[in-house]
Amino acid sequence: MIVYAALALLAGVLVGLSRQINGRLALSTSAIESSFWNHFIGLAFITCVAMIIGGLFAGSPQSAPWWAYFGGPIGVIFIAAGSWLIPRIGAAHTALLIIAGQMISGVVLDIANGAPGNTVARVAGVALIMAGMWVSRGGKK
Amino acid sequence: MDESDNAPRLFHFAAAFGAGGLLTLMVLCNGTLAAYGSLVFSSWIPHLTGSAVALALLMVLRPNRAKSTRPPLWAYLGGVSGGLTVMLTSATMNTALALSGTIALGLAGQVFFSVFADMRGLFGLPQRMPNSRDFVSLALIIAGSLTLIFWGGKP
Repeated sequence: MIVYAALALLAGVLVGLSRQINGRLALSTSAIESSFWNHFIGLAFITCVAMIIGGLFAGSPQSAPWWAYFGGPIGVIFIAAGSWLIPRIGAAHTALLIIAGQMISGVVLDIANGAPGNTVARVAGVALIMAGMWVSRGGKK
Repeated sequence: MDESDNAPRLFHFAAAFGAGGLLTLMVLCNGTLAAYGSLVFSSWIPHLTGSAVALALLMVLRPNRAKSTRPPLWAYLGGVSGGLTVMLTSATMNTALALSGTIALGLAGQVFFSVFADMRGLFGLPQRMPNSRDFVSLALIIAGSLTLIFWGGKP
């Protein structure tokens, strides 16, 4: 259990590490070029893993809805945005604001989909996050 | 240094928040792919289509390189770290940690690393010391996120 907790923690560290490295690449090149290399090198890496463990086309991926195939283009903009932001507002602000956006949009999506949820917890969670964003904005215009 | 010097500008602020919204859509897309195909497939496809789209954008927009000197080779390896993340999270999601524990610990790892990276200016990015306002903001956003992760989905 401790091992899995450490692995889950490490996964988060790797997200930050990846954004830091991509941000460094964008400093020398551009946010879009950094996003391209992130995807291209990631593709090479995952292809190697797929060849080792196999089962890449297992299941019935052809029956997935068409829109599920749009994660890639969305990711291109997401990685480019992170690479562009991190040298400008720092790693912590970038991470926390992305988390805030992810959490609040997740609640909106759940409500739109009619997913069951606790209204009190949702209101409290969103209020805490918005308070945190308000504090982080500080006195800046 | 004035305390508010550290605070993100409104445009940066909106861009980062918006990127978080994109992340929700991306997770929805890739998670749906994983429900039909293998986990490797649900990471392989977005990297494949993402590479094609990013290459097309590069060819159309031709963004200027910020510096004429080449970046260090390790700066090209961000994608490996991203690929490893997918594998780790798919491994821990199916343990007693479940999805909520995986997400919560992932947030913690990400935030600790980011604060440390800022303080040290890791990997050649600007060094910046977080101030007390940043820590209050961090605590509030994490508290809100944990509230949503552990209680938000309970009916």
